[in-house]
Amino acid sequence: MVPSAALFVMLTRSAEENKDKKAETYPVFRLGDHPSIVFGKGSHLDFRARFSADKSDSEASTEDPAETSTIDLGKKRIGVSGEIANAVEFQIEAELTNTDPWRDVYGDFKYYDVARVRGGKFKVPFSLDENTGASHLDFMFRSLAATHLAPGRDQGVMVHGRVWKKVIGYDAGVFQHDGKNARTNNPAKVFGGQTTAGRVTFEPTRNMKDALGPFLVGVAFTRSDVPEGISGVRGQTVLDQNFFSSADYLVNGTRRRTGIEMQFLPGPASIKSEWMRLETQRRGESVENTDLSPLVGEGWYVSGTMALTGEKKSRVERPKKPLLQGGFGAVEVGARVESLRFKSGSSSEQGSRSPRADTILGNRDQATTVGVNWYVNRFFKVQANFIREKLDDPSQGPLPSKASFTTKAVRFQFSL
Amino acid sequence: MRAPRVLAAVLFAMLVSGGSVLAQTPADLFDINTIQEIRLSVNTRDLQTLREKYKDNTYYVADLTWKNIKVRNVGIRSRGQGSRNPTKLGLRVDIAHYTTGQTFVGFSTIILDNMWQDDSMLRERLAFTMFEKVGEPAPRESFCRLYINNEYQGLYAIIEEIDGAFAKRVTGETDGTMFEYRWYIDKQWRAEDLVSIANYKTLLEPRTHVLDADSTLYGPIQSLFKEVNAAADAVWRDRVEQYIDLNQFMKHVALEQFIVENDGLLGYAGMNNFYLYRYQGTTKHRLFVWDKDNAFLFKDNVPGAVTTSDNVLFRRAMTYPDLRETYLSTLEQCANIARTDDFLALEIDRLTAIIYDAAKADPRKQFPNDQFDLAVQFLRDFAAVRPGQVLTDVARIRKTGS
Repeated sequence: MVPSAALFVMLTRSAEENKDKKAETYPVFRLGDHPSIVFGKGSHLDFRARFSADKSDSEASTEDPAETSTIDLGKKRIGVSGEIANAVEFQIEAELTNTDPWRDVYGDFKYYDVARVRGGKFKVPFSLDENTGASHLDFMFRSLAATHLAPGRDQGVMVHGRVWKKVIGYDAGVFQHDGKNARTNNPAKVFGGQTTAGRVTFEPTRNMKDALGPFLVGVAFTRSDVPEGISGVRGQTVLDQNFFSSADYLVNGTRRRTGIEMQFLPGPASIKSEWMRLETQRRGESVENTDLSPLVGEGWYVSGTMALTGEKKSRVERPKKPLLQGGFGAVEVGARVESLRFKSGSSSEQGSRSPRADTILGNRDQATTVGVNWYVNRFFKVQANFIREKLDDPSQGPLPSKASFTTKAVRFQFSL
Repeated sequence: MRAPRVLAAVLFAMLVSGGSVLAQTPADLFDINTIQEIRLSVNTRDLQTLREKYKDNTYYVADLTWKNIKVRNVGIRSRGQGSRNPTKLGLRVDIAHYTTGQTFVGFSTIILDNMWQDDSMLRERLAFTMFEKVGEPAPRESFCRLYINNEYQGLYAIIEEIDGAFAKRVTGETDGTMFEYRWYIDKQWRAEDLVSIANYKTLLEPRTHVLDADSTLYGPIQSLFKEVNAAADAVWRDRVEQYIDLNQFMKHVALEQFIVENDGLLGYAGMNNFYLYRYQGTTKHRLFVWDKDNAFLFKDNVPGAVTTSDNVLFRRAMTYPDLRETYLSTLEQCANIARTDDFLALEIDRLTAIIYDAAKADPRKQFPNDQFDLAVQFLRDFAAVRPGQVLTDVARIRKTGS
């Protein structure tokens, strides 16, 4: 048995053994979902880590045109989370190799389940996909829409909770800006100022024992004001290559995001779908100082997965029979179709790159992903994705003479 | 009964022609017999920045309106060297800058010349007329009132860009290579051998074939001036004529001499204001005229310009009798064109009548109105004096050699 495999067999067994212990003398070390120090009932400190390495091979190369295959070893995230006196949850997480290391850094006052208060830096409550943790994604890459239209993390305060027998969930918050996804490293580009965000979810089957599986629908919005300037919102392919550069277009005014989401988890399967729209006004930006049509980003996806080894979707990350423990782990297949489009003005007019064009030179990326996830055990996961993308206007994309291109990618992930 | 049928026929003709009776053409835009009106709409913040940063070549968005044509999202930028200023902006209008393939009556670019340095506002048009009369192609040019955001900016000249489309119009070729000459105060050039391709690249900017390799673009130019400066021998001319049409060059110089252009090929500060064109599939070049705002500044010859020129190519070409004759006969031709039926004087009067009101009302011109009147009078005097003077000079040179 190789040393690493032995380590994780040991870790897994240790977790099982810990469950059987009844007598508690605090503090105690546990290996539940995460390695944890328990200080008492309702007080614990969990240690988190996620390491992953990607290998991708794309017709649309990522950096050097002569080099189509890349290996990314850059995902190294560690953190702690926990609970204090059953009243406050917290999480502190950082990327080890990044100039902007801090990810989630927040505290959550949860004394009242119907009205919890969270403060710090965390994801703006918009988009199911964006708010799914990176280690729990069904595919290697988040949907294009969530990556580029959802806000992502920002600093703020949020009230959230569940009401009506937890059937209805809500989040309502105020944030300093409109998230990291709408920004670039270019300080000349503008992004939203103080942002209000809200999300309401409805889980009609939550208390139904005979339901096929959990079912959730939700709506979300954000609103912020964007100062005059070049928008930081980008349209990028799955491997982060520009297919629409908002670098050409001026914005000024209110930015609104609207989203609709759906998730259904019947047994070993899952079906998820979202539609979202990001609209930024361009007040007074025409050559005659009048308003231009808003700059619009619109995207959607529909995805489905199926665990071939029989685990329920909610449990697939904890395979019934891990590798080297009498089984092969869990295997799940999935597929996703999606679209991300940028536009403004009338579709009957010729699009222009002019910063003050009413009808901009828009573009759309349509992507289809098929993938396999192998959950070796609760810590190790291997994902393989085959992605086919098609651009409406390839001249703005990575391969100006080719509208369609393929990417093959595999990810090895270890998470605690 | 007859009138309704005629009317119906006319209406039918208009319908089947798709309304083309209203279509405008390049000839309409460059109709010198009238004054055009061009309107630009520019965001006020952009206009303010454009005036503040008029030395930059940054493009700004504008909508352009001329007659019944409105072209949206054209790119405009400040242009010019000595004429560049924030008060009366010289503008390059790049129709396709933001919208690929967009044209304006067939043009992808036009120049709106502010005529800042020309107190008569007639010099360039008169100079181009003389070039055309002698059979040398020149950019088309007409006058216009320019309005920006409905505010009158003054009298401008609309000038045809010298590019691939211009080359096609005047040579019939579609694949020649056009270079714009860039003048620098510290790189005054009089056809000496500049040796390296990098030196030529600084001075000559490609307007076609812009993606070609430097060796392809500048190799023949490098060879041209290497041969021009080579030792005199029996085959100097044959070697040089592989690379330049010497007869055309001599005509061009003679034309500039007739109009007393002091900022042209034999200009006071080295060669200036020309485009170099390489015929397609060859290594041979010719010149095209550009920017003649400083022509007609003197009534007399530029002192010593002809026979003691510092320009290597001209000085050496003049040692060949037939090329010298081309030069002198072109000067004679210019003089005869100008004086026959008082052509030049009448052209000055005709153009003055066209621009008079627009020039007088120009709120941003550099010179006051009485100077405009004096400048026009100066041109009239030039037209009266210059032909006779040139014919006398040519006769003397033929007789005495200098």
